[in-house]
Amino acid sequence: MDIRELQGYASFFMTIVLVMLLYGYIIYLYRSEKKGEKDYEKLGKIALDDEIDSKPINDSSASPSENKEQNK
Amino acid sequence: MFHWLEKNPFFFAVGVFLVIAFAGLIEILPNFAEASRPVVGLKPYTVLELAGKEVYKKDACIACHSQLIRPFKAETDRYGQYSLSGEYAYDRPFLWGSKRTGPDLHRIGNYRTTDWHENHMWDPKSVVPESIMPAYKHQFTNIADLETAYAEAVTVKKVFNTPYDTPNGVKLGTWDEAKAAALDEAKKITADMKNQNVKDAVAAGNIPEIVALIAYLNRLK
Amino acid sequence: MQSNAALEYDYSVAKLFTYTTILFGFLGMLIGTLIAAQLAFPELNYLLGEYGTFSRLRPVHTNTVIFGFTVSGVFATFYYVGQRVLKVSMAESKFLMFIGKLHFWLYFIGALLATISLLLGYSQSKEYAQYEWPIDVVIVVIWVLWGVSVFGLIGIRREKALYISIWYYIATFLGIAMLYLFNNMAVPTYFVSGGLGNIMHSVSMYSGTNDALVQWWYGHNAVAFGFTVPIVAMIYYFLPKESGQAIYSYKLSLLSFWGLMFIYLWAGSHHLLWSTVPDWMQTMGSVFSVVLILPSWGSAINMLLTMKGEWNQLTENPLIKFMVLASTFYMLSTLEGPIQAIKSVNAIAHFTDWIPGHVHDGVLGWVVFMIMAGLFHMAPRMFKREIYSKKLLEAQFWLQTTAVVLYFTSMWIAGITQGMMWRAVDEYGNLMYSFIDTVTVLHPYYAIRALSGVLYLVGFLMFAYNMYKTMTSSRELSEEPQFRSPMA
Repeated sequence: MDIRELQGYASFFMTIVLVMLLYGYIIYLYRSEKKGEKDYEKLGKIALDDEIDSKPINDSSASPSENKEQNK
Repeated sequence: MFHWLEKNPFFFAVGVFLVIAFAGLIEILPNFAEASRPVVGLKPYTVLELAGKEVYKKDACIACHSQLIRPFKAETDRYGQYSLSGEYAYDRPFLWGSKRTGPDLHRIGNYRTTDWHENHMWDPKSVVPESIMPAYKHQFTNIADLETAYAEAVTVKKVFNTPYDTPNGVKLGTWDEAKAAALDEAKKITADMKNQNVKDAVAAGNIPEIVALIAYLNRLK
Repeated sequence: MQSNAALEYDYSVAKLFTYTTILFGFLGMLIGTLIAAQLAFPELNYLLGEYGTFSRLRPVHTNTVIFGFTVSGVFATFYYVGQRVLKVSMAESKFLMFIGKLHFWLYFIGALLATISLLLGYSQSKEYAQYEWPIDVVIVVIWVLWGVSVFGLIGIRREKALYISIWYYIATFLGIAMLYLFNNMAVPTYFVSGGLGNIMHSVSMYSGTNDALVQWWYGHNAVAFGFTVPIVAMIYYFLPKESGQAIYSYKLSLLSFWGLMFIYLWAGSHHLLWSTVPDWMQTMGSVFSVVLILPSWGSAINMLLTMKGEWNQLTENPLIKFMVLASTFYMLSTLEGPIQAIKSVNAIAHFTDWIPGHVHDGVLGWVVFMIMAGLFHMAPRMFKREIYSKKLLEAQFWLQTTAVVLYFTSMWIAGITQGMMWRAVDEYGNLMYSFIDTVTVLHPYYAIRALSGVLYLVGFLMFAYNMYKTMTSSRELSEEPQFRSPMA
């Protein structure tokens, strides 16, 4: 098998893998919203409410018990 | 897995990097093994030609001229045989260009002569009345940097095994030998030129940029 | 943090980069206008002797607008947006403050040295990668310092979720780092030859066709990661913030992000269609360029839909106008690019003025408009004064929009005319036109382009003046505006 063929197979399979990952991500996005684990649209508020003293959407200093969904 | 990527900036960055590096890894790297074989009979650049290539780069001829003839009849009629990969084997960097404000130069040596170039660089309108190319008169007074060109030749010989000093090939030798050879080559070119200052400079052992540039352009065939 | 009421965002580094954005923007566009005029009126080549020819100035123009104007704009907005969406102030970390300042000063000195080196003719002659190796080393250090700032701010953030703009800034950092390093691999000849010749000189690690592949893998994606990715980062912050509307679909923005990352890098070889690179790569380049429409339009449509139900703002707020027009031009040029990447179209378009036409509807319409809108949005917050003049802003908008339209229409016509003339044959199959015929025919289009350059430059001066007055003498604001930027 020469290098051309290897290149061909490698690019073909990597493309398939990445396309699957991308679709997997779409499914993951919608499923986790449906289950109520995450709310992605809420993240859009980060830009709107961005004062230094406003409450973070996902607080990095909050304890794990308050933000259960972060440990899933 | 996705959750983890979204929350962890480090692994997120690694993920992004893998995705963007993938194309380069597959598309470009493996090609290095084979695409750089020279066509039969291709010789490395002489020191004077390399100095001329430096002038070509310094005055950025690449901004308006390509060196790539595409395989269309309109192009082969106009410029000659279409370009082959192996013809560029000693071009570091490649000088294909991306814009033809002026014509392609890949085979300019086939149909333009030393005196044409001399007139053209001094005043483009003298040979092409409607030309929009600027004159490059400073090339007639600036002295070409032969030493750097020699350093480049030594470097490509040492690092990339460019075949200098082979039987029937281009001789490089020591700096003094190379300098003498370049002067001889330059004198052959100035024999066809009419600018007295350029002739005098070469006779005195200094090679103006224009002579080196013409050496380079004449070699493009 | 409620406990620390006095804490504020610290914009000192963002301000410094704002100044260089304006400075390099002006210089880059001035040179651009000059070289555009040189093509129409060649006498203009002799203003500065050896240093004023079209060929010497063209790399100065491209590098100043890319690495001077755009990259300054990316840094300025990052040091502003980064703090705000991560909800952490630069003032909280002495270390990051120091890195930020060092980043700026090294960048400024580096940019000056780089420009001088190009004027003197030190050039690798690889497009957008002309700088010789000592300058490259400085650029790498500057880039690493920016990386420290990006990841440093992320490290001390309060907002755990990374906003989409931060994703794009991270990708900008990584993408440019990878591309720049690999494309600029070169061996300095001074050291290998034992101290002969000029110390600035180097020779590329790659030769011929390989060099072409690496160069256009870089050249195309430098556009991706310099002119697309960070500008998308800006619009995803500034458009929602200025309009008070959250992104239409946050999920779509995430998906477009990964789509863009994956597809963009394959498209580089469309610069080498019909050349000596292997056929399958050319085909890959074409195909992926067309697929690239999807994530690009995903982002652009997302931006436009963000304004859903709020279109009245388009007439009331000139900044919204700038940003909506920017995303429209983004859609235009991301459609135009794939068209040019189709092999049969490329056969005509390549090497002609259609290509600079395409580049400029992207950069003038999308990149510059977005950066100016971003800086206008930042100014009232950074300098605590309202924007000096709404009228001037409106006038600038229409002047520059006219300029962009003149630019790309004239270049489309010029490119297609020339491409068709190059291949035209008479009834016996002989070429109909000599090369110079195809140059003289372009004169009116070159003149129109030069005019559009002057208009755009005047518009940019209006922007600079408006910013200057905003910084120095506009009415002071007692508190920070939440959404819409106040203007007189």
